[in-house]
Amino acid sequence: MYALIVTQMVVSGVLMGLIYALIAYGFQLTYATSKSINFGQGELVMVSAFFSLTLLNVGVPYWLMVPGGMLFGALLGLVVERAGVRLALEQKSEGWILMTIILGLFAFSVAENIWGRDDRPFPTPISSNPIQIFGIHITPVEISVAIGVFALMGMIELFKRKTLLGKAFEAVSADRDAAELMGISATRTIMLSYGLSGVVAALAGILIAPITTVGPTMASALILKAFSVAVVAGLDSGFGVVVIGMTLGALESLTSFYLGSGWREAPGLILLILALAIRPMGVFGKASIRKV
Amino acid sequence: MLVVDNVHAGYGASEVLVGISLEVRKATVVALIGANGAGKTTTMRTISGNVKPTQGRVLLDGKPVQGLDASRIARLGLSHSPEGRKVFGPLSVEDNLLLGAYSRLPAFFGFRRQAERELAHVYQLFPRLRERRSQAAGTLSGGEQQMLAIGRALMANPKVMLLDEPSMGLAPVIVQEVFNTIRRLKEEGITLLLVEQFAKSALEVADYAYVIEHGRIALEGTPADLHKDERVLAAYLG
Ligand SMILES: Nc1ncnc2c1ncn2[C@@H]1O[C@H](COP(=O)(O)OP(=O)(O)OP(=O)(O)O)[C@@H](O)[C@H]1O
Ligand SMILES: [Mg+2]
Repeated sequence: MYALIVTQMVVSGVLMGLIYALIAYGFQLTYATSKSINFGQGELVMVSAFFSLTLLNVGVPYWLMVPGGMLFGALLGLVVERAGVRLALEQKSEGWILMTIILGLFAFSVAENIWGRDDRPFPTPISSNPIQIFGIHITPVEISVAIGVFALMGMIELFKRKTLLGKAFEAVSADRDAAELMGISATRTIMLSYGLSGVVAALAGILIAPITTVGPTMASALILKAFSVAVVAGLDSGFGVVVIGMTLGALESLTSFYLGSGWREAPGLILLILALAIRPMGVFGKASIRKV
Repeated sequence: MLVVDNVHAGYGASEVLVGISLEVRKATVVALIGANGAGKTTTMRTISGNVKPTQGRVLLDGKPVQGLDASRIARLGLSHSPEGRKVFGPLSVEDNLLLGAYSRLPAFFGFRRQAERELAHVYQLFPRLRERRSQAAGTLSGGEQQMLAIGRALMANPKVMLLDEPSMGLAPVIVQEVFNTIRRLKEEGITLLLVEQFAKSALEVADYAYVIEHGRIALEGTPADLHKDERVLAAYLG
């Protein structure tokens, strides 16, 4: 019985970890092409979730809301790129750090004004009545998280490996100037990466909202964890974020089980501190932290 | 086919090129030689758009292209095999080649089939690349990477190709191989601007040559003319 409870904790922790992994993967996408990330990504998750909730409230069916919300996330990603990142990158400055933080703060206050400060339930046709698999209780909503995360990451990885546009994406990541010489527009590739990163963040919000509810602060803890995962896993391995994300999720469940739920945030922070201590160049990798 | 007219360019405040003019006619090989730091690579990068000129004109097939993004200029028919090869290390040899033809291939599917002819051509020039087609480009030897860089630039069927120091860091045998390839491409009618440290070998394949010193053209002429010039003999062909 005791082993079963622990397994149960690990399973739900791992599922939460997949959400961290998905958001961390969004960081990787833009970092690969532009060596920049959106520090307002948490707000992007939250605003996309609110937007999706609004779609549901005006009667859009769930299965249409999902692509609708993801499209909205893509648009937000493009706005962040255009308004917060492009100019800074053209001038080879680090201004994007401050700009994306400010855009995030702005999005936060806009969201509070439009949708209010309260947490709201996120209705879903997927059942939250647990079913038993090998004695472990797991809800279809939780299963949908796993399916959604793997489906989207799998599709993006396939895109990168199998299409010429995807290979061009990898080429810009490897050597921007050389890619330009092939006729590949780095600017458009960076736009694409921000769009995809927005899609990824929006889906993270849609998947997690039925479990955590929707509110202005819904993503503030999430984003910190996603950040830790990205730092620890490094910024180039999609496989790495999945492994680290699931591990962190499991560790969190176990600490809150053994030490009490107040300790839930500890593993993520400890992981981040350790990672930054061992790899002081941190999320920015070797190249650009020297300039910061 | 390619005309560079009084081009000035540099990095930030420092001006490296102070009025470069040169011309590459269709189906000719033109060599650009000069000492280290004279501005050869900067000239190439300015033509292909990685560096923006502050003054002057670059005409590709009669059309001004100065100031355009490098990717635009590439799509207009200019291929640049850069100094240091710059292959896409994590990608496979074949993916590198396919990306060379990026501008005229479909972005999603069916691109491999449409590049068949050019791939066959490059593999015929460099059978070694065919053997290593699925290997990551970063794990190739220096000579193989140079072949890949040349092959990648050929994939676009360029109107004009720029080739910057293909012999850099290679063993003498491989350098010979590279020059044999250049000769073959010349027979096929390529329009090529070639930068080379090995001025002697470069002048052997070139139809015409320019000597660059401190960011300006100091001398120009056919290889035979340059061989008669004492200064060139002393400085570059000694
Ligand atoms: N990215 C850069 N930033 C600043 N200065 C540069 C840059 N690249 C080149 N330079 C400077 O421009 C000048 C010309 O360099 P360039 O690379 O064009 O010479 P080169 O003729 O190609 O030399 P080499 O034979 O060594 O390749 C040099 O003084 C060099 O220091
Ligand atoms: Mg050079």
